[in-house]
Amino acid sequence: MSDDIKVDKVFDLKGLPCPMPVVKVSKGIKEVEIGQVIEAQSTDPGSLTDFPAWARTSGNEILKTEQDDDVIKFYIKRNA
Amino acid sequence: MMDEKTRDDLLKLFESKLNEAMRLYLETCTRCGVCTEACHVHASMGQVKYIAAYRAEIVRRLYKKYFKGRGKIWPSVGEARELSAMALDELYEAAYSCTGCRRCMVYCPFGIDTQMLMSIAKLLLVGAEMEPEILTLLADTSIEKGKSIDLFKESFMQGLKRLEDEVVSKWKLEAGETAIPVDVEGADLLYVALAGAHSIIPAAAIFNAAKENWTLSFFEAVNFGAFVGDPTKTKLILDRIVSEAKRLKVKEVCICECGTAYRVMKQLTGKQPFKVSSITEVHARYIREGRIKLDKTMVDGAVTYHDPCQIARNAGVIDEPRYILQHLTDDYRELTDEPRYNWCCGGGGGLVAMGEDTLDFRMKSASVKVDQVNATGATILATACENCHAQLSNLNDHYKMGVDVRFLSSMIADALIQS
Amino acid sequence: MNTLYYLILVPMVYIAFAIFIIGTTVRLINIFRTPKHPATLQVYPEKKPGWLWALHDTFLFPTVRRHKPLLWIFLMVFHICILLLILGHLELFGEIEILQFIPHEIFLGQGLVGLIASIALLYFLFRRFISPVRELSVPEDYYLLILLFLVVLFGSQMDWARRWYFYETVTVEQYREYLGSLLVLDPYLPDELTESGHSFMLVLHIFFANLFLIFFPFSQSMHSFLSLPVNKLRRG
Repeated sequence: MSDDIKVDKVFDLKGLPCPMPVVKVSKGIKEVEIGQVIEAQSTDPGSLTDFPAWARTSGNEILKTEQDDDVIKFYIKRNA
Repeated sequence: MMDEKTRDDLLKLFESKLNEAMRLYLETCTRCGVCTEACHVHASMGQVKYIAAYRAEIVRRLYKKYFKGRGKIWPSVGEARELSAMALDELYEAAYSCTGCRRCMVYCPFGIDTQMLMSIAKLLLVGAEMEPEILTLLADTSIEKGKSIDLFKESFMQGLKRLEDEVVSKWKLEAGETAIPVDVEGADLLYVALAGAHSIIPAAAIFNAAKENWTLSFFEAVNFGAFVGDPTKTKLILDRIVSEAKRLKVKEVCICECGTAYRVMKQLTGKQPFKVSSITEVHARYIREGRIKLDKTMVDGAVTYHDPCQIARNAGVIDEPRYILQHLTDDYRELTDEPRYNWCCGGGGGLVAMGEDTLDFRMKSASVKVDQVNATGATILATACENCHAQLSNLNDHYKMGVDVRFLSSMIADALIQS
Repeated sequence: MNTLYYLILVPMVYIAFAIFIIGTTVRLINIFRTPKHPATLQVYPEKKPGWLWALHDTFLFPTVRRHKPLLWIFLMVFHICILLLILGHLELFGEIEILQFIPHEIFLGQGLVGLIASIALLYFLFRRFISPVRELSVPEDYYLLILLFLVVLFGSQMDWARRWYFYETVTVEQYREYLGSLLVLDPYLPDELTESGHSFMLVLHIFFANLFLIFFPFSQSMHSFLSLPVNKLRRG
């Protein structure tokens, strides 16, 4: 977990094929209030482009992207 | 209640779909009922509303009301129907329980295309902002990625790096060879994949083994515009692949294992300086030309193959997967005597992309598919479409079928004999 | 009574044929004037040549034979009957030499063809009362079948009545006189046609046939012209 970001909800999307991570996050983000932050964990390399593009279309904000060996973590702030 | 302005706008959308073929489909049905047994949803669930002619009639009733003189003089003779909020609900029910597999076309004495008629329903739903939100979101995301390609290029390359390592660790490469070439001008083949590892890694391994001069597209193949039935978005998503192919001057555009992507690309691009192939066709060619060799011992158990509707019945790639499977196994079992009668997996038309929202319906509506697979006794269920693969995997879990659902391309990659 | 007979046998026939011919032509032009679909709508595997298979699909209904064999038998019988009856009516305009391979006076089938057609029509009609075809059917489908049933019923009865009850004042000559005069727009109604004991059958036959022709261009009966082009789309 990133030190400087307070995460309100974590979504484990590991192992899901594209476009499921985006589908789940776009639904899931409605479970937190506007201004709150979710962490989405994906193993799908496609999400590296999918998430930023989705954020632009849906009006949400990716605060930070982290990659370790297998997992890609997105910290997304709900703006819309 | 629907105000006049909304209705007029929707009717304009309806009119925009009325080309010759559509008019023929709308005028010709005699409601003979021969299509009754054609739809997997009806065969699995039994309700009349899932018969192809019934679905089509939902659209046809509106046509009879607004686009036939009869609708004004004598609407009741054809049960012509007013376009209302309730009619839109019916359109939704009809269009989003139809996977667009076109199996009913094999039954109809005239060959009426229910998928085409449902595309009217889908367009009206888009116009009324009643389409499944998620499909529009996916289409928009996809368009956004294409529009600001430079913004996403870096993360795309980053993602590829991770995949290259995997390709290299599993399959030997010639010295100096790039595992996943991108943006190569003058390449022979442009591979359009999905934004996922499983669609890129095995394909890369096979291209490299066949010594193909290939390059990976920046764009993903899947056309969510087509799923949601929005012609403008469908065209946008399609056109950028076309322009990339032209820019790189490739001779062939190869579409990954994705039924809709292949059919849209193959049938809607028009005349181009490149040809469009499905990856299954390309793989069959490699085997035929001796460019790759496969080891049958890598496949353990009886194999059956699910023909993705949009690739087989609706685009004609039928012999190629069977040819490939001959080189992968000695125990291949057909699902049907004739491939055009294959049941749809139950996940087409955007239903799989709608995820859990449609899961219950997808499971219930595809029980005939499960019976069909079980009857073969096969333990490996191969297919060549992302959408079918996802749905068949769901069915496998739900009905505890105990089969291994595999992508044909990944079976080939695993069986590659490395020289 | 005579005025009514006249109205049905002369002006209404003109009106019906005008609507049938103009309506059908205009509707067909309107359909084929619209732009073509940009992509193929074929179903695979394909068989070449597509146009020949489309003809095969249009005239032999192979999909019905395979999936609804009983319906197929009735459909084949019915459509063959319709063809024979059209030929038979052409004989009412003038002698068609080739059809005299079995010598006959008016109709080759002597009312039998019409009887078979009406049995087929009853089968189609009753089929529509049984689920799931009932749920698929709309009023037009029933109306058309009932209308056609009445047309062929009175048509074939006419032939029988003439022979069984010896209304022999009516021969093929009167029909030829009547129809020929309609054709040259100089209508003449021979007395024999309207004053014979079975004249009411002729009048009803023509009345219902007129109604059918008037409705034809606007109904699903248009499938008789559209079946081939639609089938062609499927065959590519």
